[in-house]
Formats: sequence, structure tokens, C-alpha cells
Amino acid sequence: MATQIIMDLNGDTRKNFDAKDVKSLLEAERRFKALTGEGSTAATRVASGEPVVTRTFDPTVEETLFFPRLVGG
Amino acid sequence: MRVRDAASRCNGQLRRLLAACLQLARALREWYLRASTREQRGLKLLREWLSQEQLAQYDANKYFEVIGCHTGKRYRICHGNGANILELGDDALPRTGGCFVPSEHLVAADVMLAQKIALETDERGALTVANNFTPR
Repeated sequence: MATQIIMDLNGDTRKNFDAKDVKSLLEAERRFKALTGEGSTAATRVASGEPVVTRTFDPTVEETLFFPRLVGG
Repeated sequence: MRVRDAASRCNGQLRRLLAACLQLARALREWYLRASTREQRGLKLLREWLSQEQLAQYDANKYFEVIGCHTGKRYRICHGNGANILELGDDALPRTGGCFVPSEHLVAADVMLAQKIALETDERGALTVANNFTPR
């Protein structure tokens, strides 16, 4: 099971998907494109734990974190 | 008879007032618990994504430091959801302050995690949108 973690008002919302299930995979890809299309950043972690920003959906990634577009505070 | 009617009316009003107060107290409790849960969830996520060194710093001081991916500068991200980033000089003292936050309202831990990832993966992009402030 892979997980998409979306930061939101509730702290975060976690969406799990099975990369072997076509329907589940398509839904995860659609969610990825929708969130990044809105300006959210998608980040994953490499083996050493460092974050990496990703711009394309990778079904093999175990965990992807999304946070909203950044603005001056 | 009139006195009894008046007392009965008064009792009814008092009961309604008490019921309203009880309902308000329940709503306040629920709001407080929900906010607390959000904070806890944010902290859990932050802790999962911090390096061991950053986590130790955060536990000890309520801040952690990151290295900007483009300039190699060191930044201190303090607990908070605004005006909480300090650029450190070679002497490890704050030189300037910068502030950029996610466009949606998030709990402090989520804001800090977004700031960490931005500085570690796209420092220039983050600083482009940041507003500066003078640290005290």
C-alpha cells in the first residue's frame, strides 16, 4: 500500500492506494495531478530520509506528501 | 394561582438557559479537542520527516535548523506558523528573518514541515516569495 499525505485544515488527510489495482492507481494519479495542478508541492523521501520534490506521479513511491503553494507570510 | 404560574414559567426559562449553557460547553469542548487532535497529527507528521539531528534539536529547543539547497546557508525554523524563519550567520547568530507559509491555514507543525522541505529542495523559489523581517 502506498500513501498520499495531503496537508489540510485537519492536520493531514491520508489516502492509501494499491499500485497493483488499476482503479486505485488511476485515482491516485488523478489526485496527484489535481493537487500539483492547483499549485501544491509533492515531496517524497529518498532512502537517506532527505526530501525530494517530484513533479510526476510515480506509482512505486511509498509515500508522497503534498503541501499548498507557498506565499509570503 | 398567579404566583404558581409565574414560578412555573421562571423554572421553564431557567431550564432552557441551563440546556443552552450545557450545549455551548459541549461545543467548546469538542472544538478544543478537535484543535488538539489537529496539532497532534501535524506534530506526528513533522517528527516523521525531520532528520535525527533536526528532531533532537526540536525536542530540546522547539526549533530545528536546515541547510538551504542552493546557497548552503543555515536557517533556523522556530515553532510557529509565521515570522518563524531565521537566517543564521557564520557565528550561528540570527542575521535576518524570513517568512513564507503555505497559502492555506495549517497547524504550526505542518507549516514548519513545508518550510523545511522548501528550503532543502527549492531555497531560491522559497526566498523569492518570502517577506523579510528584522529578528529581535
